[in-house]
Amino acid sequence: MSTEERFDAIVVGAGPAGSVAAYCLAKAGLEVLLVERGNAPGSKNMTGGRLYGHSLEKVIPGFWEEAPVERRIVNETITFLTGESAVSLDVKSKQFAQAPSFTVLRSEFDSWLAGKAEEAGAMLACGVRVDELLRQEGKVMGIRSDEDEMLADVVIAADGVNSILAQKADIRGELPAKHVATGVKEVIELPRQVIEDRFHLTEQTGAAQLFVGECTRGMQGGGFLYTNHESISLGLVITAEEFADAEERIVDLVEEFKMHPLIQPLIEGGQVVEYSAHLVPEGGLNMMPSLCHDGLLIVGDAAGLVLNTGYMVRGMDLAIASGEAAANAVIAAKAGGDFSKQGLSSYQTALENSFVLQDMKTYAKAPKFMENHRIFGNYPGLMEEMMVSLFSVNGNSAQPVRKSMLTSIKRHGGFMQLAKDAWKGMRAV
Amino acid sequence: MKIIACYKWVLDEADLKVEAQSRRLLTGRAKSKISEYDRNALECGVQLIDESGGEVIALTAGTGGAKSSLKDALSRGPAEAVFVKDEIMAQSDPAVTAKVLAAAVRHIGEYDLILCGEGSSDEYSEQVGIRLAQLLGIPVVSFVNKVQVADGVLRAERKLDGGIEVVQVQLPAVVTVLPDMNTPRIPSLKQILAAAKKPVKELNLAGLGLDQAQLTAKVRRQTVLGTVMERKGIRFRGEAREVVQQVLTVLNKEGLC
Ligand SMILES: Cc1cc2nc3c(=O)[nH]c(=O)nc-3n(C[C@H](O)[C@H](O)[C@H](O)COP(=O)(O)OP(=O)(O)OC[C@H]3O[C@@H](n4cnc5c(N)ncnc54)[C@H](O)[C@@H]3O)c2cc1C
Repeated sequence: MSTEERFDAIVVGAGPAGSVAAYCLAKAGLEVLLVERGNAPGSKNMTGGRLYGHSLEKVIPGFWEEAPVERRIVNETITFLTGESAVSLDVKSKQFAQAPSFTVLRSEFDSWLAGKAEEAGAMLACGVRVDELLRQEGKVMGIRSDEDEMLADVVIAADGVNSILAQKADIRGELPAKHVATGVKEVIELPRQVIEDRFHLTEQTGAAQLFVGECTRGMQGGGFLYTNHESISLGLVITAEEFADAEERIVDLVEEFKMHPLIQPLIEGGQVVEYSAHLVPEGGLNMMPSLCHDGLLIVGDAAGLVLNTGYMVRGMDLAIASGEAAANAVIAAKAGGDFSKQGLSSYQTALENSFVLQDMKTYAKAPKFMENHRIFGNYPGLMEEMMVSLFSVNGNSAQPVRKSMLTSIKRHGGFMQLAKDAWKGMRAV
Repeated sequence: MKIIACYKWVLDEADLKVEAQSRRLLTGRAKSKISEYDRNALECGVQLIDESGGEVIALTAGTGGAKSSLKDALSRGPAEAVFVKDEIMAQSDPAVTAKVLAAAVRHIGEYDLILCGEGSSDEYSEQVGIRLAQLLGIPVVSFVNKVQVADGVLRAERKLDGGIEVVQVQLPAVVTVLPDMNTPRIPSLKQILAAAKKPVKELNLAGLGLDQAQLTAKVRRQTVLGTVMERKGIRFRGEAREVVQQVLTVLNKEGLC
């Protein structure tokens, strides 16, 4: 085969960011190659499980009618966990339907999305690991996989949190532990009817639960539980740095989490069919490499576009929006015949003008705020104590609510401390 | 030399689950793949061509879903693929499959060698290659571990239970290959890209002059159930020394040591 073959764009990684970029480029008539190292898109990928639908809706309107999404979330719960108790805030609202979110399982969902890119005309090559970028005088010219070299006007690095491409191109160093969290997840199979009964759901609707407190032993992070059609995704995300001097291993914490009296009945009788671990970028703007280079754009997790607000992890909707923005920048660059950093710079501008970088800025203080151990350590206990005293009737003479709450607050760090944290929290999130 | 390498698109056994109570196989989430030993057949064909020139045609018969296999097959080196598509293939038995393949081979016309895997990784009936040779009226060599072709003569090593038999056969012939014959390649980026440009011929039963009535499977599958491994569930407790003693006693009783 001739070595002359070249593409307008090569997209590395068929996760949500890469597949959407390839889809948009192919739809605009560009010659696109989408390279994925897994034998099928999604085969190696994991996520907690909830896709906020807004950004994919923009690219493929009404996508959930055809996409293999699991359930539409109608019930949101945040729970503060202590060893044996739980205080939950439970919200059911028709308004969630206005900006729907869906639970997804990656192997099905990613295959579908990459399939859309293929249908639109992109060339998909699976089972191929890209080893490095080809560069000439600093400009990216293409990619190398094993002995094969392939040229393109522009490469889009959508290769996820560990982006080898960004590292090898000296755009980003190794990720420091404080900029990543470790996520682990189990998929637990249960009959559909059982899930619907336990979570009060109908055939298509689903529940999302987020947990703070004992599930991470007070370490910075949280737990999640999402309902799929016939399984439950359950796991923890904890800042990697916390494990540096911790005795706990995250696997053990997951086991404990599953045994918690609140969780155990929800997964009773289920069978663990999948266990996976993955990193989550969470350095926010602080870790973000520069995203436009000569002949190269960086999107999704590779660009650090993830929001970890303590009670939710959002990455897929940002990945999708960044994939679309990168594609638009490449289309514009092609029209102008300029693939330099300058020619591709509309990508950066588009991100700045969209929710992607705006939300990243809004939550920029969140990582620092979350490092405060009281949030994950003390406050769940405080919540419990206050709520228990509110609901308990034990024959002792009742205290005015105000008084019992103050007692609890004092025990958990004092009012000033609480007020300070609340203030910081309000400003950070 | 013109080689036809046959393959079957099967469910990936790694994705199969067994429902605990009924032992029913759950195939809902299973992906498909080219049957393992058929990859050896494809690889064998491509290696022979690399040595002595010619081309390999990949041949498969399957339901519509098998279309996804073509790019994968072509990225493994064949010059062209032939796909016989019909929904009856979901219910076929080895006799039906062999009939369909024989018709496709006749449609292809000239050939020197037909390669098949010894058995498919789903049903492993080890019949298709042999029946195919019978229908085409050509010799068949099974359990093949090594091949060499020179001047229209194929020399094959057959790996049998008791030893190795070397045979020689005048081509054309059918050869069914074993898994340790070679290591199938992992297609490279360029091979995958090249595959997308290779010709694919899609055929149907009518086009092959086959009549549905002759293609009713005589062997009908009634059920497929997972096997369950019975565990004895014996637990040993105590000091290490005692436990070892107890384990030995039990193993001894079972005739295992
Ligand atoms: C435990 C956990 C829970 C999460 N929960 C949520 C959630 O509920 N909601 C949400 O929106 N986000 C969540 N996220 C974040 C979300 O999963 C990611 O942000 C998102 O998957 C990023 O998409 P991406 O396309 O950028 O990268 P990825 O999905 O990581 O895709 C990268 C792709 O590139 C491929 N690749 C990598 N290197 C190479 C190479 N060298 N050559 C070829 N291919 C390569 C990979 O195989 C992969 O397919 C969670 C993450 C974790 C770990």
